[in-house]
Amino acid sequence: MIKMQREERLDVSIVIPIYNEEENVELLHGRIDSTMSQQDKSYEIILVDDGSTDRTFELLKKIHDVNQHVKIIKFRGNFGQSAAMAAGFDAAIGDIVVAMDGDLQNDPEDIPRLLDKMAEGYDVVSGWRKNRKDKLILRKLPSRLANKIICSVTRVKLHDTGCSLKAFRSEIIKRINLYGELHRFIPALAKIEGARITEMVVKHHARQFGESKYNITRTFRVIVDLTAMNLFMKNLKSPLRFFGKVGTFFILIGSVVAAWILMRIYCFDNPLTDVNILLITVFLFIVTGVQLFIWGLLADLIVKTGKRKSIYLTEN
Amino acid sequence: MAQEKISEAENRKMQQHDNVDISAIVAIQNMGEKVEEYYSTLKSALEGLGTTYEIIYVDDASEDNTYEILEKIATKDSATHLIRMRSPFGESSSFEAGFKMSTGERVIFYTTRVRPDSSRLPALLEKLSEGNDLVVGWRFPRKDAVINRIISKVFNFMTNKLTGIKLHDINSGIIVTRRDVLQNLQIYGGLGQFIPVLANKQGYKVAEEKIAQLGGFFRKSRFMGEYLQRVLDILTVLFLTKYSKKPIHFLGFLGGVFAVAGAVIELYLFFYRIFGFGAIAGRPLLLLGALLLVIGIQMIAMGLIGEMIIFTHAGDIKEYNIEKVYH
Repeated sequence: MIKMQREERLDVSIVIPIYNEEENVELLHGRIDSTMSQQDKSYEIILVDDGSTDRTFELLKKIHDVNQHVKIIKFRGNFGQSAAMAAGFDAAIGDIVVAMDGDLQNDPEDIPRLLDKMAEGYDVVSGWRKNRKDKLILRKLPSRLANKIICSVTRVKLHDTGCSLKAFRSEIIKRINLYGELHRFIPALAKIEGARITEMVVKHHARQFGESKYNITRTFRVIVDLTAMNLFMKNLKSPLRFFGKVGTFFILIGSVVAAWILMRIYCFDNPLTDVNILLITVFLFIVTGVQLFIWGLLADLIVKTGKRKSIYLTEN
Repeated sequence: MAQEKISEAENRKMQQHDNVDISAIVAIQNMGEKVEEYYSTLKSALEGLGTTYEIIYVDDASEDNTYEILEKIATKDSATHLIRMRSPFGESSSFEAGFKMSTGERVIFYTTRVRPDSSRLPALLEKLSEGNDLVVGWRFPRKDAVINRIISKVFNFMTNKLTGIKLHDINSGIIVTRRDVLQNLQIYGGLGQFIPVLANKQGYKVAEEKIAQLGGFFRKSRFMGEYLQRVLDILTVLFLTKYSKKPIHFLGFLGGVFAVAGAVIELYLFFYRIFGFGAIAGRPLLLLGALLLVIGIQMIAMGLIGEMIIFTHAGDIKEYNIEKVYH
């Protein structure tokens, strides 16, 4: 930790994943820079080029040449939003890390307000696009529904988890490993790390240029990710509890049916032909139940031997 | 680590030679009297490039006199180095051992098993300097056994379909690339034959160049196990490229399909019995439904466990590859 303090630190890092936004980057940079330069804080703007195929990178380089606050990370290919955000977070040296989209639908002028909110002692401040300027049917309704589900499953009460504009305390975001499509669940991941989370209303603008890059067709994946996330939230410390509970349930049903068969044979002397069905049920439930128990042990072993940092986070 | 352990001291001793421009790492096994001929072709090809080079032979525990011949060559030629495995560990390990010892900025790797005409190697290097990050040797014209070629065709077709790469001979075992590319891919150690797939996934530009195959005796794939290995290889590619970070997307989907199919069967039988269409106890369908249910649940649970493994080790995994950072 001592070593960390010696390194160069800034007050704020702004991380923006960018993919094919040639019309937006210059405007975006201009607006962030004019907002931030009025603040009495040291800052950096980290622009992560997620393998853009248009002129985005050339424009980014031009911006980099004129503004020393700008840092550019160029990917070799398109690795997705989670990866781009992870790269930005890894490179960030600010005490507070702000993430936002590169499409100018978020308003950079909200950043100072987020920082003020952070100063009240929160670890994560999430934006809430109360007046969303998107197509109702295609974007807003699915987003609202997804938000409802995500909130109820992860038990992080936010109105708008999907909003990209968020601020994090550096210790929290550096502990979160983003991969796959986990950027959707950053608040939930932060909660696993013990963060104090709040939200605040931010402005939202209609898309001026370009098209929306991230669609909503991956319903199955999101549902599956959610299920996994739910499991992690509750059982990361002891997966055996989860698997054990389900396993016990299965074994109990199997045992009850087995007892019923024995009763029929020995007490009522009435082994009907459908004993067959009951026997299969017994096998099915007991095999599954025992296996679940064993998997629980295995999962426990994995989690406890894992190199993951300790689950608790002390303050200061 | 599967290959022969190379201690730190030995490693340093091995790297005492100066850094060179090109390292040719050749995996070799049981080549006997052909060794001399192969060596001189490679040597003259490298000489013709007019730059510094080294040749590193990795003898994968040959049973014939291959090692003795190589030893003679290595004592005569100071640019040739030699590693001998204690027992056969396979080409991936040979490559790893050779790469550790090498110092070249550009790295050529091939295995003598596929008998590439090394006089064509400069063409591959040329292709590399045309802005590609990795060049795969395309064995053309091929002289192998027909069965090997057919298996190879199927493998390439499937891999191309799954990964979006457009190459004719992905697992030719002939690779020309830069040192930094391999260093970046090393986290996946032991996946030698999938280097082009991994490189492509990491965003590197992968190209191919034709390289003729020398004639001679080729070992045929003789065992069913080898064909099965190919099928498993394709599965590996699938996991590497699509689901390496999200096992549950794959296993959850598959398991879901099985479990739902099982549930539908059992429900059908349930109502069949309830509404008195007849007995179901003796019907095989009953067992099939149970089987599908069990398999389905197993797959989903396994996917979850896989997910836990990834989640707990996610700190070690970088899912992106940075080309450059501008501070």
